[in-house]
Amino acid sequence: MRIFYLEDNPLIAMHVEQLVEDGGHVFAGTASSFEELRERFDTLVMDCALVDIDLADGHTGPQAVVWLKERGVPSIFMTGQSQVAEEYRDVAVGVVPKPISESLLAEKLRLLASVVNNSD
Amino acid sequence: MSPADENSPSALDHVLILAPYRKDADYLARLLGDHQVNVEIGLAGNNLAELLAASPGVLIGTHEALTPAAIEAVADHLNRQPSWAEMPVVVLLDRASRPDQVRAELSRVWPRARLLFYQRPVTAVELVSGVQSALLVRLRQREVRDHIAREIELRRELNHRVKNILASVTSIFEMTRRGATSVEVLARDFRGRLGALDKVHSAVFHAEDDAVSIAEIAALTFEPYMAGDDERIVAQGPPVTLHREAGTTMALCLHELTTNAIKYGAMSRPEGRVRFTWEVSKTQAPELGIRWKEYGGPTVEEPMRIGYGTRYVRSALTSMFGRPPQISFERDGLRCEARGLFSPLSATSDSHGS
Repeated sequence: MRIFYLEDNPLIAMHVEQLVEDGGHVFAGTASSFEELRERFDTLVMDCALVDIDLADGHTGPQAVVWLKERGVPSIFMTGQSQVAEEYRDVAVGVVPKPISESLLAEKLRLLASVVNNSD
Repeated sequence: MSPADENSPSALDHVLILAPYRKDADYLARLLGDHQVNVEIGLAGNNLAELLAASPGVLIGTHEALTPAAIEAVADHLNRQPSWAEMPVVVLLDRASRPDQVRAELSRVWPRARLLFYQRPVTAVELVSGVQSALLVRLRQREVRDHIAREIELRRELNHRVKNILASVTSIFEMTRRGATSVEVLARDFRGRLGALDKVHSAVFHAEDDAVSIAEIAALTFEPYMAGDDERIVAQGPPVTLHREAGTTMALCLHELTTNAIKYGAMSRPEGRVRFTWEVSKTQAPELGIRWKEYGGPTVEEPMRIGYGTRYVRSALTSMFGRPPQISFERDGLRCEARGLFSPLSATSDSHGS
């Protein structure tokens, strides 16, 4: 599974990159803002995405999840703001709270994989 | 709005006049209007709940206006006031009425109102100054409201930042743990990385405007390794101020490059040197370029495995500049260069959300 990560904190992005690779997936890159994602989307290849709520262009994670869903890309939220994520639970497949628990992320990636496989 | 307007108590609020007789209402409206007080008139038969919903700053009621229905409507409005509010109410009593009795009764049905009583005939000066002071009370209440709102906002922001820092620290720890060959190495590397995070946090915090200059980041990072007239590390560039996130990322990158240079690179030898330079292009869309260059150290060989430092520097600079840095293991020393649009990193940039 090719996983993209929308995150503006490079430390966390690097950590998640490792975890994604540990899980046998391909890390498909990062963008630090919703704007950057839209600009680069045509050049990117991804099956699903992990999305932070607050990005470099503001509180745009929820919009990004909706936008990605419209393009057939399922997402999960990666955030310290579980309340906000809860409001958008209909558009996202799940939520991984920050600080990231490695086992919880692995579990949610399996969930994401089942969504990706079912849509094929 | 000019500062004078902001300080005028009647600039934002209006006074609602409840007087069933048109003559009384007009007199009060004209009197207050002459003193630049905005007024709204509620005559008998007007929808009082609607008038109150427009949130008047002060209410003036003549004795005759206080019918049971009106008293109830006002009581309802007072009960629904937000916690910061106690609407001032000016009551104009009849000459023949018993003020104590009316006061006791109104205080009972109108809790959380600031009641001010006048007995007619009342002079214009008295009434106007009473209403103006009531408007001032209301203005202060709104200031309290703004203060509370700001405090809630600050708490939310603080929570957000603390969460962010904890998430960063967790990631630093997990990544450091992966590369560590022993507990001692883990402790040393983790301590170093937390120290770098702490230093740049202090620098940004003391700046108050959430900004930090590259020169300051460089000085903080290199300070432990520069004794006296030590010229092993040279940091050079024009004054450039970064916003908090970019400054933090830059500090952590410099920390990794420096510790790498001490362990394996130029700074592992007394004769080794490091030059860290930066510049901003004078183009229409200015670009920030940074360059790290080691020389005079041991002969460099491309490492077999990519460690935390290289991985972080690559991923962080890519995220910062929107394109990957050039990291080359040249024989005479490591070189790392990155450049990209300056405006998203600049402390004065408006585009950056916090």
